[in-house]
Amino acid sequence: MSEEELHKIAGFIETYAVCLLGSGVHTSRVNRNSQRIAESQGVNMSMMTFQRTVVMTVVEAAGTPVATDQSTPTKATITQNATAKAISPTQSTTRTTAEANATASTDTRVINIPTSSVSFALNSDLSALSWRAIDRHLSLDELWEEYNRIIAKPRINNWQVLTLAGLANASFCKLFGGDWISMIIVFIATVSGLFIKQELQKKEVNHLIATLISAFIAASLAAFACYFDTTAEIAMATSILFLIPGVPLINGIIDVVEGYTLIGFSRLVQAFLLIIFIAVGLSAALLLFKHSLL
Amino acid sequence: MIAGDILTDIFFASIAGMGFGAISNPPRKAFLYIAILAAVGHSMRFCLMNYAHIDIATASFCAALSISLLSIWFGSITHCPMTVLYIPALLPMIPGMYAYHTVLALVKFLQSLQEPALVAKYMQEIFLNGIVTISVVFLLTVGATIPNFIFYKKAYSMTRHRK
Repeated sequence: MSEEELHKIAGFIETYAVCLLGSGVHTSRVNRNSQRIAESQGVNMSMMTFQRTVVMTVVEAAGTPVATDQSTPTKATITQNATAKAISPTQSTTRTTAEANATASTDTRVINIPTSSVSFALNSDLSALSWRAIDRHLSLDELWEEYNRIIAKPRINNWQVLTLAGLANASFCKLFGGDWISMIIVFIATVSGLFIKQELQKKEVNHLIATLISAFIAASLAAFACYFDTTAEIAMATSILFLIPGVPLINGIIDVVEGYTLIGFSRLVQAFLLIIFIAVGLSAALLLFKHSLL
Repeated sequence: MIAGDILTDIFFASIAGMGFGAISNPPRKAFLYIAILAAVGHSMRFCLMNYAHIDIATASFCAALSISLLSIWFGSITHCPMTVLYIPALLPMIPGMYAYHTVLALVKFLQSLQEPALVAKYMQEIFLNGIVTISVVFLLTVGATIPNFIFYKKAYSMTRHRK
């Protein structure tokens, strides 16, 4: 295998792994799937994941395999590479010193994980792709083709998402013992809050600030329930529940339970940050509109 | 009206599961199964809490465990990873009311620092609601993850042989 081929394979695995991590997949699955892709292309791969970056080494399978990854020269390359990456992203590959790897070529890279929204469809389709790669011996070009096809699939229509989220939160209100008036108010509050959050995210407002504003608006709208003879308390409590970062929370705990403690805690900290910002938005609305209650 | 209560719970839990799932863009064919799992999980917790008088954390654990076991079966039908099916189904079980009361008590606590009696009362509320929230979320996830370790061969090859 030529060095160029190895770089090309590493390039695909890099894109693949980062896309999975960005779309809310727990770490052990990302690891397994990427290993499978590597195996299908006849290389060995080891990776190390953090909240914002991935460090990855790809080694030609025929030569000295995974064991080289732990040797000091490779580690040194990683740190060198981290600085090299900052200077020129295109030249992110480094050949390890000849005495360390006489036979096998390696490719070590540090990759940033872009922030993207959670997508279970990508999780599902990309996992299936990794199995197809190994069962049908897909070539690298076929892999890219399939990958691009999967990425290009549109997300669910936004109005459908808004309606479904509104209905979901309204039924949540019912589950907590709210009445019909509260349910209608919660529906309106959820749809407006989520819509505003999406618009703010399109304008690339920081996601924490977007969450805060969205929570404030949803809770303020739900505060109208105070003017009706209804379960106002439940309406206010449920109006912000659509913002709770359930997927990072659950993924974080899955990671911790499976032994990826570091990234698991990073995810949990991120989720708690979001919850704190929701709480700030909610408290602001409570102080403004429901002072009698406090 | 026990049956009526349970049916209401099943109905609204399935809508809640689908709706919260929709925000995370699940595959279209998974929607039906997410709704079933959410309904089974939430109504099971509802029954355990109201009729068997089990506490919310243990009931959540049992519900999450059964959701996860069911998602092994549904996963081999839809060829979706188990997490894709059970995470949206777990979302309606996240104890939002307890989380809300933690925040509310915190706000009240900060508003009444001058009055020792109220401070103690709100402090207790913060701890009570906060601990329930954290342990329920933790047990939900642990319950859902356990079948992954037992049936790992099945769980890891769920998306294989998909057309």
